[in-house]
Amino acid sequence: MKELKKIVAKILSIDEIKVNDALTMKNAEQWDSFNHLLLISEIEKKLGITFSIQEVEKIKSFRDLREIVSSKIK
Amino acid sequence: MDSITDTTRKKLDISDYFNLYKKLKEGKKPSNKKGIKIALLSSFTVNGIKEVLSVKCHEFGVNAEFYVSGYNQYAQEILDTNGSLYKFEPDLIILFIDARSVFGDNYLLPYSIGDQQRKKFVEGKLEELKSLAEKIKSNSKVKILLHNFEAPVFSPLGILENKQKFGFVESIEALNSELMDTFKNDKQVFIFDYNAFCSKIGKDNSMDYKMYYLGDMKLNLQYIPELCNEYMAYIRPLMSLTKKCIVLDLDNTLWGGIIGEDGIEGIKLGPTLEGRPFMEFQQYLLSLFNRGVILAINSKNNYDDVIEVFRQHPHMVLKEDNFAAMQINWNDKIANMKAIAEELNIGTDSFLFMDDDKANRQMIREAFPEICVVDMPEDSSLYLKTLMDINDFNTLQITEEDKKRGHMYVQQRKRTEFQKSATDLTEFLKSLNMVVTAEKANKFSIPRISQLTQKTNQFNMTTRRYMEDSIKKLAEDKNFLVFSVKVEDKFGDSGITGAAIVKKVKDAWNIDTFLLSCRIIGRKVEETLLAYIAREAKKAGARKLTADFIPTKKNSVAKDFYKNSRFNLAKKENGKEVWEYSLKKDYKFPDFIKFVEK
Repeated sequence: MKELKKIVAKILSIDEIKVNDALTMKNAEQWDSFNHLLLISEIEKKLGITFSIQEVEKIKSFRDLREIVSSKIK
Repeated sequence: MDSITDTTRKKLDISDYFNLYKKLKEGKKPSNKKGIKIALLSSFTVNGIKEVLSVKCHEFGVNAEFYVSGYNQYAQEILDTNGSLYKFEPDLIILFIDARSVFGDNYLLPYSIGDQQRKKFVEGKLEELKSLAEKIKSNSKVKILLHNFEAPVFSPLGILENKQKFGFVESIEALNSELMDTFKNDKQVFIFDYNAFCSKIGKDNSMDYKMYYLGDMKLNLQYIPELCNEYMAYIRPLMSLTKKCIVLDLDNTLWGGIIGEDGIEGIKLGPTLEGRPFMEFQQYLLSLFNRGVILAINSKNNYDDVIEVFRQHPHMVLKEDNFAAMQINWNDKIANMKAIAEELNIGTDSFLFMDDDKANRQMIREAFPEICVVDMPEDSSLYLKTLMDINDFNTLQITEEDKKRGHMYVQQRKRTEFQKSATDLTEFLKSLNMVVTAEKANKFSIPRISQLTQKTNQFNMTTRRYMEDSIKKLAEDKNFLVFSVKVEDKFGDSGITGAAIVKKVKDAWNIDTFLLSCRIIGRKVEETLLAYIAREAKKAGARKLTADFIPTKKNSVAKDFYKNSRFNLAKKENGKEVWEYSLKKDYKFPDFIKFVEK
């Protein structure tokens, strides 16, 4: 999860502390549709997992992201 | 250079580039930087190219400005000659159109049309692309980088694809080949081999289908940095940022092992398991030398040990004759690097340094931040690949002289060595057996003459820059004498290394441009050319020669030339001096130079 937070923080240009379940696409200014795809692409590359197109669509917050990622890493 | 730039030589992820780009935009814009304006026109959404290229340009001290076309608006924007594309006044237009957009539904249903129709379709597309390029050319001098198309690796016909009369895959390959032929001799349009690029990264990887459906990305985001690397091969020569010279270490770089310890029999070089990587590394260095890259040696070794390898080792590919400078001694590498720069008379910013030793690399990097220090891999089997990946030597055109450049610097080294052994300058010059050839400008020499006016700064009397078209016009004008100069001596042929433009004003011919490469000045070639101009002028009935001299920061070497050639200063105005020579007295040709007029 530490690595995931790092990636999110980097792409959204925010502090890692601010990467928590309260973070959503709606309240994070930098989290636009392009950065969303960039985020997915980077997570896939760095963590060696792949998302389905439906999953990418479903993710709207850090919580969604965290849950899907942890289900894949197990 | 600041901290942003240090990181960019390493392989970075696309997200790193986005971050660096943000920092770049937040930072203050340095005012003294070179600038380039790049227009990016594409048939889909290209994200990331602007950001990565900005960072990469910044690394070379270039400030890049971008114009990005609207979604699939490239044709309209090119055709609208009063539109914002042309108002932006780009230096480079990158035209990235992908095969899917061009073929539309036919891309996935290629055999819904017949061979004949496909042929027509491809011909039509070629015409479209040609006319777009022509449109840009008729409106601007901008360089155009036109993508070709990724030839697909799928076909609904499977193994029978290549049994078709004019198949789908073949049609794209044909389009690529036509594009290449069409623009082969074009100096403004360059075909970007996107098909080769996709092969390089692997066509299975080039598209991330999820991202394609989600964001219309036709190239996997992760490969944008590599694509931009390829673009830099075009941007760098545009900005005169190309490297000219590779400075090489010897032990464990050109051969395996240490000559001083292992001896000529012990070093690893040749068709053996351990020797082949070094032999092939040398072969590729030789082919770079043959395209005009200068080679030099910076090595801590006994000179005689090394020369023995050059002369005696059966598998040594590179010979003494391939090196323009050889600093082989026990001085430190920094001093040697300075000596090489001095000997070659080119700036260290055009050097690239290859040395297996990490500490040496670090030392050079610190002493000369402008030198590109290559991170040599630990494993010598990766040397060749490392060398092949370097795209720092690209030029947008290559003249015959460029190809000979490596050789010419070697001749110069021999000449200097010979001069050191000669006791008297005149004796030295006499023994060179020089032949100076002046040739009226023709279609073969015009590109080179133009290049010389653009590039020569030192022995250049007026520093007037002429484009190829202007030289061509002057050469056709009977009121002008435009000629190139070639110098041969016992060490070799210098190629075209000088040029002059003389205006045949009835009574007094005027020398508008007179320039020589630094390599050949001081050898009475200058006087020979003045004698030639004087003779021609006199023949045509002129009574005097006038010659302009415009002083610049760089041409002080030329400042007394007309004075020493017995011209008189007639006037001085607005920083321009006009010198005169009365043709009542003949201007004598130096007697030990053979002069040929063509």
